[in-house]
Amino acid sequence: MSTESNKKRKPKVIRSDGAPPEGKRNRSEIDLEMKYYSEEAEVDIRDPNKDYDLYRFTCHELQRLMAEIQELKSRGSRDSASEIEERRIQSCVHFMTLKKLNRLAHIRLKKGRDQTHEAKQKVDAYHLQLQNLLYEVMHLQKEITKCLEFKSKHEEIELVSMEEFYREAPPEISKCEITMGDPHQQTLARLDWELEQRKRLAEKYKECLASKEKILKEIEVKKEYLSSLQPRLSSIMQASLPVQEYLFMPFDQAHKQYETARHLPPPLYVLFVQASAYGQACDKKLSVAIEGNVEEAKALYKPPEDSQDDESDSDAEEEQTTKRRRPTLGVQLDDKRKEMLKRHPLSVMLDLRCKDDSMLHLTFYYLMNLNIMTVKARVSTATEIVTPVSAGYVDLLSPDMILSCLYPGDHGKKTPNPANQYQFDKVGILTLSDYVLELGHPYLWVQKLGGLHFPKEQPQHTVTADNSLSASHMETTMKLLRTRLQARLALTKQFASLEHGIVPVSSECQRLFPAKIVSRLVKWVAIAYEDYMELPYTRDIVEAGLAEDTHLYYLALIERGTAKLQAAVVLNPGYSSIPPIFRLCLNWKGEKTSSNDDNIRAMESEVSVCYRELYGPRPGYQLLTNQLQRLCVVLDVYLETESHDTSVEGPKEFPQEKMCLRLVRGPSRMKPFKYNHPQGFFSHR
Amino acid sequence: MTIFSQSVSPCGKFLAAGNNYGQIAIFSLSAALSSEAKEESKKPLVTFVAHDGPVYSLVSTDRHLLSAGDGEVKAWLWGEIIKKGCKEVWSRHPPYRSSLEVPEINALLLNPKENSLLLAGGDCQLHTMDLETGSFTLRGHTDYIHCLALRERSPEVLSGGEDGTVRLWDLRTGEEVQTIEVYRHEECARPQNGKWIGCLATDSDWMVCGGGPALTLWHLRSATPTTVFPLRAPQKHVTFYQDLILSAGQGPCVNQWQLSGELKAQVPGSSPSLLSLSLNQQPAAPECKVLTAAGNSCRVDVFTNLGYRAFSLSFS
Repeated sequence: MSTESNKKRKPKVIRSDGAPPEGKRNRSEIDLEMKYYSEEAEVDIRDPNKDYDLYRFTCHELQRLMAEIQELKSRGSRDSASEIEERRIQSCVHFMTLKKLNRLAHIRLKKGRDQTHEAKQKVDAYHLQLQNLLYEVMHLQKEITKCLEFKSKHEEIELVSMEEFYREAPPEISKCEITMGDPHQQTLARLDWELEQRKRLAEKYKECLASKEKILKEIEVKKEYLSSLQPRLSSIMQASLPVQEYLFMPFDQAHKQYETARHLPPPLYVLFVQASAYGQACDKKLSVAIEGNVEEAKALYKPPEDSQDDESDSDAEEEQTTKRRRPTLGVQLDDKRKEMLKRHPLSVMLDLRCKDDSMLHLTFYYLMNLNIMTVKARVSTATEIVTPVSAGYVDLLSPDMILSCLYPGDHGKKTPNPANQYQFDKVGILTLSDYVLELGHPYLWVQKLGGLHFPKEQPQHTVTADNSLSASHMETTMKLLRTRLQARLALTKQFASLEHGIVPVSSECQRLFPAKIVSRLVKWVAIAYEDYMELPYTRDIVEAGLAEDTHLYYLALIERGTAKLQAAVVLNPGYSSIPPIFRLCLNWKGEKTSSNDDNIRAMESEVSVCYRELYGPRPGYQLLTNQLQRLCVVLDVYLETESHDTSVEGPKEFPQEKMCLRLVRGPSRMKPFKYNHPQGFFSHR
Repeated sequence: MTIFSQSVSPCGKFLAAGNNYGQIAIFSLSAALSSEAKEESKKPLVTFVAHDGPVYSLVSTDRHLLSAGDGEVKAWLWGEIIKKGCKEVWSRHPPYRSSLEVPEINALLLNPKENSLLLAGGDCQLHTMDLETGSFTLRGHTDYIHCLALRERSPEVLSGGEDGTVRLWDLRTGEEVQTIEVYRHEECARPQNGKWIGCLATDSDWMVCGGGPALTLWHLRSATPTTVFPLRAPQKHVTFYQDLILSAGQGPCVNQWQLSGELKAQVPGSSPSLLSLSLNQQPAAPECKVLTAAGNSCRVDVFTNLGYRAFSLSFS
């Protein structure tokens, strides 16, 4: 404690007194200046630890001396004064040492501080440098990202693919050896190549433009030449007229017809052009002509805009007048209807001639306000045909019937133009069918021949005549028309003989049937659709949707002994490409139909399903008669192979005359209905 | 179209049906019976032409579907049958004497104990077909054979034919054991319908047969008719089911009979007449346990219980 307090006090003394007096006392003989300056140097030489030991030792000595002095003083003897003096001197020396140590310590402290300060400054400088560097790094990084994000314009350019580039570019551009490994060089090379190509293309474009210009000029020149040709040609034509007349060459007549054709409305014109083209190219027996008043047609087309105005004006007027004068309403509606259903004054006549000189005359009309076409048909035959006489017969050749369902479902009763319905509503026409007899039938195929196409869904405002549509339908339609006429003529003939109970079988078809057929057709009548629907055994056909209003229905009765076979026949208007369907009902030992007798079912399929072998010579107009004949045959087979009831006395009603391999076969016990021609036996199908 | 034959797959989930055009259609019963069945699932998964003539009979073994056409038997793998363009595994012709026309095969019958196939049809003979022992022929019928039935307890097979007889054959010796001329018994004879036997079923002690003669239950050991079932229409298929007899034939109904001869129910189907019934009792698919009936139409009626027709599968 005491030593520390000493220590604290001493530095003050040293500072106020300064170093020199101390130095004088401590090391007297050495140069003062050197001493003073060496003291700082001395600090470096001396070991602080030793100084510390020295300090401790000095303090210890001092304590001991103090204690001795105290003891001597307390004893209070005389000689002790000298001893005390001696001790004091020693103490003084020790104090000197302490002072010296104190100075050294101060110098050391100062030195230490200086060093610390110096080091701190250094560190500060380094820190500053670090900050600068960090900032620089950050800046550089920003620059790098900026560079990386830089979008070059070349990326937007579409380049040819790599393989194509190496395949097509010349080696001086592609420089394979450099660019292969280096994507940068590669891209540069590809860009070069792109530039090169574009330059070439631009050059080519210029060339093309130039050649186009040139060609245009040429065309101009040629046009001028052609227009100058026209008057010269007409003068030649004029000059050749007498020659034509002299040589009976109808160029001019055809030309006149073409002249007339120019006044045809577009659909009829399309029909006229396509039909005459088809006639010239493929069908020599088709003749085309135009009928009607040309002057009226001309008048119709001269002031088209005026007439429209008139119409709208008159409409307005009419509205006013209807308000004023009610009694004339009906008359006016009638006039309106007439106006709406008005036909174009010109019509096109097509005459189709068949091999046997029978003709189908078709007259095509155009209803201007409804924008649909209609057709009227008439048949003329070379020889007089005996038509069936009995009541209920639909004349198959009547204008109303002959073209019905030329294409499936095309009845020609409704207007094909959906827009018409709205027009009808205005003037109070319910359906077009009431006027069909007068106007002709608007069959769909007629519209197609005239190039008119009506979409089913939405009524279109502008339906224009389309040549290609007409052309695509011309050939099939003409063939269908001819087939239809021949099929109908054949049917009419066949019906006439069927009515007398004779089934006509041509010699080519004889092989389909055995020589002896006992069953006979006794009745062949036409029945109405409603009557057919009411027959109990035709329900399946009606349910299957195979019986429609437009089809023709007949009832045949085939008899053998007590057995009576009724056959209900559905004749599709598309006969003979669509075969008739037979339903059978046998009255013999109870009523047997397909629902209670499998063999009746088999007989039905024998005539209705296996009809292909019954077509006879192409094109198969004898199908119906052959089917009826086969029906007679299978009835024979059915009756003759029926197992004999042993419980009934007497001989069998129908002795077996047909040759059969087996009478019955299979789980459903089928009878052998199939006739094998050359051998003449019956087998199972 | 007429569907002559049906057979359920060994897994119980599929039904094969054969028609008069030689086609076989495979239906998925599980799809048609599931709760989310649509119209599509009532159509066949696949239809293929198996034979030239009608497919009169179909049976299923553990792995194969065997189909009989005119004069040939073909085997199809059930595992591959659903795939398109499936080919038969094998095709065999029974040893026929040469004839102007190929005899049809009206009935196929599996004899599981001996792993052999019995077939009978137009040539008035029974043929057995076995991979190991070859085949032999049982002769005796005087007209073609309609149907076969196996007595499970003794190795005997019954056959019924157009000649009006039901014959019992011993399969070990290949000899005829017994002949029952059904049409000679006044109780069941119906001469106006003919004497042919169209269907036959047996549960070893009893036999039920029908066709031209009325459907009749017979005691086999004494060969006497015990019950005549009062039905006018000739029957084309008959089978025992639990304590009932199910029969079908001319007319649109599946008839259910008590053994005593009472008509328990007549369940109407959708075809004018039925030719085959098939009971799916495969233990593997209890959810597909149904009765199916097919006949003179393109529809196969499905009865989920015996009371009413649930729906129809459509062949085409």
